[in-house]
Amino acid sequence: MLPCPASGKANHHLMYQYNNFDKQFVAERVSQYRDQTERYLAGELSEDEFLQLRLRNGLYVQRLAPMLRVAVPYGTLSSAQLRALARVARDYDRGYGHLSTRQNMQFNWPELASVPDILEDLAKVEMHAIQTSGNCIRNVTTDEYAGVAADESVDPRPYCEIIRQWSTAHPEFDWLPRKFKIAVTGASDDRAAVDVHDIGLHVRQVAGEVVFDVKVGGGLGRTPVIGSTIKTDLPVADLLTYLEAIMRVYNRYGRRDNKYKARIKILVRALTADKFRDQVNAEWAEILGSQRGKASRLPTSEVQRMETFFAPPEYAALEDATKLLSNQRMVEPEFDRWMRHNVTAHKRPGYAVVVLSTKAFGIPPGDVTDAQMELVADWADQFGFGDIRISHQQNFVLPDVRADGLLELWQLASANDLASANAGLLTDIICCPGGDYCSLANAKSIPVAEAIQDHFAQYEDLVNLGDLDLNISGCMNACGHHHVGHIGILGVDKKGEEFYQISLGGHSGDAGAEASIGKIVGPSVSRSEVVGVIDEIIDVYLAQRLPQSGSSEQPESFLNCFRRIGMAPFKEQIYADAE
Amino acid sequence: MPTLNNQGEVINDAWFVSEQAADDGKPGAMVPADRWQPDSGAGLYLGVDAEPEATYSAAAFIGIDFPAFNDGRGLSLAVLLRERLGFTGELRALGDVHPDMLHYLQRSGFTSFELPAERNLATAQAALQPYTAYYQGSIAEPTPVFRR
Ligand code: SF4
Repeated sequence: MLPCPASGKANHHLMYQYNNFDKQFVAERVSQYRDQTERYLAGELSEDEFLQLRLRNGLYVQRLAPMLRVAVPYGTLSSAQLRALARVARDYDRGYGHLSTRQNMQFNWPELASVPDILEDLAKVEMHAIQTSGNCIRNVTTDEYAGVAADESVDPRPYCEIIRQWSTAHPEFDWLPRKFKIAVTGASDDRAAVDVHDIGLHVRQVAGEVVFDVKVGGGLGRTPVIGSTIKTDLPVADLLTYLEAIMRVYNRYGRRDNKYKARIKILVRALTADKFRDQVNAEWAEILGSQRGKASRLPTSEVQRMETFFAPPEYAALEDATKLLSNQRMVEPEFDRWMRHNVTAHKRPGYAVVVLSTKAFGIPPGDVTDAQMELVADWADQFGFGDIRISHQQNFVLPDVRADGLLELWQLASANDLASANAGLLTDIICCPGGDYCSLANAKSIPVAEAIQDHFAQYEDLVNLGDLDLNISGCMNACGHHHVGHIGILGVDKKGEEFYQISLGGHSGDAGAEASIGKIVGPSVSRSEVVGVIDEIIDVYLAQRLPQSGSSEQPESFLNCFRRIGMAPFKEQIYADAE
Repeated sequence: MPTLNNQGEVINDAWFVSEQAADDGKPGAMVPADRWQPDSGAGLYLGVDAEPEATYSAAAFIGIDFPAFNDGRGLSLAVLLRERLGFTGELRALGDVHPDMLHYLQRSGFTSFELPAERNLATAQAALQPYTAYYQGSIAEPTPVFRR
């Protein structure tokens, strides 16, 4: 680790730091977009032409207003960046922002004409909105616990940054048949859901060498599928050459005639995974033979340069704080509950990973105010090293909290609606903006989430429901990832009325259980019936679950119970009255 | 229709798309692939979905026709013509060529751009090089930033 010339302390970054090249690139992007916006406002660019350009700069138009999606590369923010986002929320929006399921930050009410100014402000803190929308390679996502998770074998962030740079304004792959999402994980518990991405990368270490397993063609949306592995043990030097081969095959042969058939998963299925792999390998061999292809291979020096940005911070040598914590937990039952659900083991003794939940009752999941953002930034500095993550469950994560500060942090978070002790539980709902904000929606999703939270808030802990992912999307586009919810809810349109289709048994995949796509329980139900149906489902689970599962003292989880007993008992209970 | 080269200069030449076989021998004819002969000295006219055939490297000139400005297939085809076939002649973008696409086209190996009549020439010239440099290697600059 390099010492910092000013302080003499080890030079910790915790995240990628822009050099002059990056700064110039982002500044030029802002001027390019400012010019495009002006040409649009002057009538020189048509609506449709400008659409393509503004999407690639994060601006899309929702039901009520333009929405700006700011890139939070692989969900990692510094406290200074979060404060800058708070200022954007205050100065250009109505005082709040929205954490998206792809680890980005969205603003609902910016003025189209002021977006170039927002982007210029963000550039000052090394942020941008490049390729957060449109048919291009989107912001790469990863494990929200990257770098601190106890089950991690390789920190994925250096590779995410390498991919971010490579995919930015790529000469050949910025005009794809459809949007393209890449996720990377380096842990055994796949919190990045790499199985359901266009490309999912699992980075591992084999005999001291970093290698990648490559899946393609996973995805949600109206044709949900689990990705197929087309390459194992890809050497790190060839990360970019192999990605190039995949992208070229997709760019040339992905369907462009029907946007519902344009994702790479449709191409992989049409060709079969084996034939797709053969085409990619043939393309890859050609790339490796070319001069440019050889130059695209990653030198060790570049990988090392990226690794230094994500080197661990200067952790204090701390004692394990279990004893102190167990005393505190005994005195404060609410703190105990929060510790159980929202605090995760850290690689280092005396530190913990904390989920600050945005799922307080009465607030749309993922919505945070400017004041909350500033507080989270302050806490990141006070209790950790100024590092903040956004999780795909739409919560904030503080990755390096000293265990002896947990009680104080909990008190502060509780006073500011950020301590709902429900991480991973039923009421920690993943929910898309739905019909309240999104012009594509078939149905509202936020009121459904609120009704479920309201119904189960007290109850879930009493009966020890355990881990239960409930995901809601307002339409087939599946922004709320309903297919991989243990319980999934999808808004559908039935003769102009809002209905909801319920599915069971989806899972985004982790160390304990493979990924799966949820199955539909039966006919869709009206909004007023949703909570009742969820209640029936929970009743079946509570009646049928095994009191203990495997070696753990805990009752059988919802997912395991569903996988064991199947759909029939749920179906019977829900539709008993109807038949 | 104004045509620009890589330097943003307006060029005037005789290249035209040959609609019928009778015109294939005329000077400046771009001939569709199914009628084009490698030794004819004629230009070659391709759609964005063409497969790059080895014989194309002998063409005097190649034009790729974009049915829509955002059809990225033409970018990959250009890369393959340059890199895989070693085509070194002039490569022109035709059809729905958009000023804001010029930098992608140029980096993927195109050397001239025929703009639709309604496009603003000054805008196109200004949009040719919006960035000083890029992260990844390209046909125009094969060395990625991490090796520069
Ligand atoms: S799932 Fe549908 S309704 Fe929800 S945000 Fe996505 S597009 Fe909009």
